[in-house]
Amino acid sequence: MTTETVDFASTLQSLGLGDGWVWNKGSWWLAPPDATDVRATAQRMIQLDARFVAITAIERADKEIRIDYQWDLDGRLLSFVCATHDGKIPTIADLCPAADWVERETHEYFSVEFTGRKTTAPLMTRAGDPLGINLHTGVAK
Amino acid sequence: MSYRIPIGPYHPALEEPYKLELICDGETVTDAVMNVGFNFRGIEYLAERRNYLQGITLVERVCGICSNVHSLSFCQAVEQLNGAQPPERALHIRVVLAELERLHSHFLWSGIAAKLIGFKTIFMACFTLREKVMDALSAISGNRVNYGMNRIGGVNRDIADPQAVLNILDEMEQGIAKTIIPIFLNDKTVASRCKGVGILSREHANAMGAVGPLARASGIVQDMRKAAPYAAYDRFQFNVPVETAGDVQARLVVHALEMMESCRILRQAIATLPSGPIHTTPPTAAKFKVPAGTAISRVEAPRGEVLYQVTSNGTDIPERVRVRTPTFMNMATVRATVLGQELADAPLIQASCDPCYSCTDR
Repeated sequence: MTTETVDFASTLQSLGLGDGWVWNKGSWWLAPPDATDVRATAQRMIQLDARFVAITAIERADKEIRIDYQWDLDGRLLSFVCATHDGKIPTIADLCPAADWVERETHEYFSVEFTGRKTTAPLMTRAGDPLGINLHTGVAK
Repeated sequence: MSYRIPIGPYHPALEEPYKLELICDGETVTDAVMNVGFNFRGIEYLAERRNYLQGITLVERVCGICSNVHSLSFCQAVEQLNGAQPPERALHIRVVLAELERLHSHFLWSGIAAKLIGFKTIFMACFTLREKVMDALSAISGNRVNYGMNRIGGVNRDIADPQAVLNILDEMEQGIAKTIIPIFLNDKTVASRCKGVGILSREHANAMGAVGPLARASGIVQDMRKAAPYAAYDRFQFNVPVETAGDVQARLVVHALEMMESCRILRQAIATLPSGPIHTTPPTAAKFKVPAGTAISRVEAPRGEVLYQVTSNGTDIPERVRVRTPTFMNMATVRATVLGQELADAPLIQASCDPCYSCTDR
């Protein structure tokens, strides 16, 4: 289908992320021991003409939220596993407009604060509705 | 002088809840504000509080048009977790259902688009053909919507009469090739309403993460059936139609050409339908428990890529079910495509991204 085939190994090297990738159940995963710089990663993916796919938030036992950033690179799904610190993580919506709505709903569902955004207007809920409506534990704010 | 014109929250053409506020300078749209969420049902929240079998039924209700892709994506993700491998016949049946669903969805959208253009004859032609697809879906599954076909490890029902599916393909292909495609491509009325209208550039489509026919009409070659094949798609020959104009007409053409490709896939899937079981052996009492882990399934829905990420903690209830639908990504492109356009074209432009608000809101 594609006119050009991306050399995956070279691509990973160019990302500075040549090691640590694991293929598992539908995606290539990278979960570095230290938190991935989500903004630097987003910039690299954009440079490679990768397509932003999704952000998936998952509650952790320590009350922080695991945040998986998914990008499609020539049909390969790349998942960068990150996490909030004190419920916060930098926004990538200014770098990648496709992430705007996803960040807004993640804010509503899991009360994650995406730092650096000018506003985080409600998307699925309405102004004044509680945040964290998808949380299993804790009280929605 | 600027005017603020609200459309919705019940869209008069699409008959779904969604609000678009257009800021106009005379007849020209200078800005747009979108409000979604009127259909928000908390599907992800609900799916994380039900067992996997209940989850299949639940996610099929995300959308009434592309219900099959939701249960398919969910089941594929769970199958990766528990290692269930659907039999070959089941994989073919999944393709048949998926392509019939694509056909009826594309006929629906083409008909609505024709109606918005003011071409009601084509609206009738599309809906006449769509009824035949619905009849085929009903004959296979017993339902016109929410087919209940997918299960973890295969499908629930066999195709009792494959020839009946083949029989409707002749008529559909003829209708698409002799009526719909020529009119969408060459008719002056269609061109006057659609050519150069609501352009979404390739760069903008990529920046917004657009998927499906909307992205392909803007020159982005992207189709999960080819890029990351699932079910039995890697056994079949088909093309991915791509246009580069990025306007409403390009979206019409991509949809019409994709319908022909769906017919082509259906012919192959039926012709090569293998014999054998349609699902794995019914599991034991432990069937409701899924090994811990995370799996992702991506399916090419009629409107583009659907992603399901399912995380299991080893129990019978998923810890996390993430549903990212195609319209969730495509809707945000509407603002860019209406800017600078005539107010009268705005309903057609925003409908041309083939929006599904049930999918968007979940």
